Amino acid sequence: MADLPQSHPDADELQGMEHERQYDFQLPENYFFKSEKGLTKRVVEQISYYKGEPEWMLKFRLRALEIAEKKGRPKWGPDLSGLDFDNIYFYVRPQERQGTSDSWDDIPEEVRETYRRLGIPEAEQKVLAGVGAQYESEMVYHNLKEEWENKGVIFLDSDTGLKEHPELFREYFATVVPPEDNYFAAVNSAVWSGGSFVYVPEGVEVDVPLQAYFLLNAENIGQFERTLIIGAPGSKFHYIEGCTAPTYNSDSFHSGVIEIICQDNADVRYSTIQNWSHNVYNLVTQRAVVHAGASMGWLDGNLGSKITMKYPSCYLVGERAHGEVMSIAFATDGQHQDAGAKVIHAAPHTSSSIVSKSISKGGGRSSYRGLVQIYEGATGARSNVECDALLLDETARTDTYPYIQIEEKTAHVGHEATVSKLNDEQIFYLMSRGLARDEAMALIVRGFLEPVAKELPLEYAVELNRLIELEMEGSVG
Amino acid sequence: MATLTEAETHPISEAAVEALVARHREPSWLARERRVALDRYQATPFPSNRDEAWRYTDLKRFAFDGLEPVTTPLDTTVSERVRMRITDSDAEGVLVHKGGRVVQRDDHVGESGVIFTDLRSALRDHEELVREHLYSVVDASHSKYTALNAALWENGTFVYVPKNVEVALPLGAFTTADRGGLALGRTLVVVDTNAKLTYLDEYASGPFEGRLFSNAATEIVLKDGAKLRYVSLQNWSRNVAHIDRLRARLGRDARLESLSVSLGADAARAEVECLLEGPGAESEMLGLYFADRGQHYNQYTRQHHAADHARSDLLFKGALRDASSAVYSGLIMVDEGAHKTDAFQINRNLLLDDDSKAVSIPQLEIATNDVRCSHGSTTGPVPEDQRFYLMSRGLAPEVAEHVLVTGFLYEVMSRVTLPKVAEYVERVVQAKLGVPGVKEKL
Repeated sequence: MADLPQSHPDADELQGMEHERQYDFQLPENYFFKSEKGLTKRVVEQISYYKGEPEWMLKFRLRALEIAEKKGRPKWGPDLSGLDFDNIYFYVRPQERQGTSDSWDDIPEEVRETYRRLGIPEAEQKVLAGVGAQYESEMVYHNLKEEWENKGVIFLDSDTGLKEHPELFREYFATVVPPEDNYFAAVNSAVWSGGSFVYVPEGVEVDVPLQAYFLLNAENIGQFERTLIIGAPGSKFHYIEGCTAPTYNSDSFHSGVIEIICQDNADVRYSTIQNWSHNVYNLVTQRAVVHAGASMGWLDGNLGSKITMKYPSCYLVGERAHGEVMSIAFATDGQHQDAGAKVIHAAPHTSSSIVSKSISKGGGRSSYRGLVQIYEGATGARSNVECDALLLDETARTDTYPYIQIEEKTAHVGHEATVSKLNDEQIFYLMSRGLARDEAMALIVRGFLEPVAKELPLEYAVELNRLIELEMEGSVG
Repeated sequence: MATLTEAETHPISEAAVEALVARHREPSWLARERRVALDRYQATPFPSNRDEAWRYTDLKRFAFDGLEPVTTPLDTTVSERVRMRITDSDAEGVLVHKGGRVVQRDDHVGESGVIFTDLRSALRDHEELVREHLYSVVDASHSKYTALNAALWENGTFVYVPKNVEVALPLGAFTTADRGGLALGRTLVVVDTNAKLTYLDEYASGPFEGRLFSNAATEIVLKDGAKLRYVSLQNWSRNVAHIDRLRARLGRDARLESLSVSLGADAARAEVECLLEGPGAESEMLGLYFADRGQHYNQYTRQHHAADHARSDLLFKGALRDASSAVYSGLIMVDEGAHKTDAFQINRNLLLDDDSKAVSIPQLEIATNDVRCSHGSTTGPVPEDQRFYLMSRGLAPEVAEHVLVTGFLYEVMSRVTLPKVAEYVERVVQAKLGVPGVKEKL
């Protein structure tokens, strides 16, 4: 830090802060820079400065901050009053050096320990073809198979992506989710850090999923990943992101933006299972633009966090584009999963399908909030929505808010939702076959989720089942 | 002072309320209610598209600035069309409202204690009954529009069916108009324990000068075991905008069968809500709308389950053509403790051209687990294979479409056990479709 250019407005102060840190025993985490709490212009400038970003990105961040200030928080949806920006660090940079490591052994012991605690089997870790782990706010590890590199596949953390592929990055960045889109997208645009940058060139198929594990590991640290995924024409790949975090004392905030561009005939899938600890506000904007003949699939699992607001969306802008959203939500006491899906049909013969399965238990609340919009001229567009909610006990609650807007005569749109409780007869049958009550309940819940779970790669399906079992523990009172 | 201030001459003001109270020598409790409602009205901002309940509504079409409350019609004759409707409707007792006045009254159902009269007469002859129930179901607090109605309603209909009395033939109120302005009508229906009633509420008019904004409020009280069939038929002429808030409270084992039909007016909003307060209460809610030539329809429904073992079943179907638009927004709300609830909700829309637009928002809020709830929504064109089949049988394309649209809407009408009403609705639908030989008779 000694060579900070004196021209930087906060140079003195920044140096001072760094100095201060060395004597601050209140910070057990090995941070090398932690912004002050709160969302201010200065914090935004600091983030950009530390990252050594190009001028346009700083301008973009500052513009986004202005937009956020003007917009204010959404007036609908879950109660966000407990989310206090003034008590959140919007940027934390880990001490670990940034860049790609070649082998698992180079991953810091601290991170590996967290992985182990999450119960990811070692074999699985080895199998994972390329692991981009986001420790705190930045990617610290990358391992890409050589053959992919030869094929021209780019799989980097977003900061490195911006540095190494500035033209490509700038061309697509914020084209799918502009900061004007919504309040939390604006906040993310101002303070984003980390996330993945994926580019799969024309005609390239990646057969092993690209995976990134995100970890939150310090109190009061907002995580604002920004993922940009570009599937060139005819490409095909599956990107998987998992989020897990240990439990903290005070409320934490996560607000990511995921932008995906599926160019003509590309086939892109994005799967994520989030299991943030139960004090995290998880407010994410996930959106894909789907061009002619391309296909986009979102698989979205929401198990953790205190409040989730997440509506993966597909903008079907090319003829015969296809969009799919499958989601699972599990809300236990104190949790509100406000998840859903959004599909905009803006071209002829586009099709989409939304399947949402939610489970609520013991005061937990899961809501489906969705939009299907069919513009005039999207002839022959088809969309089908299915929402099923399972309520495990009397205090559980569920909501369904589907918005359906049709401006095209030849469109076919259907929506169906059901709400049910655990079926006593089924439980009785399974118990008569020798299962304990909670085993029977867990089995029925797994069966309920099966249509979505089977779309997951095996190791994730296993993990999901394990998480469900964990959540179901103690259900029998 | 020689000149009145703007506030004093404004059609919606304290002065207007006081004048109304004085003109009818209203009791003080009602005057108080009106004043509170006016305060509420003045304190409530106009709805905007930022309000969830009004998000897809073109609010300009529900504006009423400059319109004055209508207190008298231009003339008190009952038009030929309305007379025909009355003969056609099976109604035993009839009340015709025109411009805030009762212009025809065949309320010979006085025996066995049934009361069927206009609200003004009821205030005079049955004040306690009115006082007990007025504003108990639809009060001023719901919206700017309900506040306006509560503050300045001119007249309306009052029905009371005493305990264990079954009224065999329908009673009907027909509301019509012959001049523009602000029409504020109110209906209060009280069906006492184990009593039974069928009631028709029709709004219709021939063409007249000026613009009419009709803001109606309908309160329904069903005591334990009471049964009511309620039909609301709206077929205003095109210079009318209509808002109707219908809300019912159902006691133990009470049953409501409601049908809300929107065919006329330039823009109409029908709010239909039932509050199931007693265990075992049942509510069937049917709705039908057919918008053409730029009409805009809004349907807001709510099935609120506050008690256990209650059941509600909703079906709203609509067809749209000629650049018209419709919004269906419905909510099933199941409170904590409302065990063994059965609640169903279906909305289906038929889009007959590309310029029309349908918005469907079927919603659920469920706070208990021992329930059976489902909802469904579909929007689509006339099925091509069905059209093809009919055409292969020799039907011209437009005839095939008439048959299919009528068939689509008929699913609703087939559940209405009032053949005369079903016939009438079918005739209006066919007239709107332009089926040759069918003249819309009012």
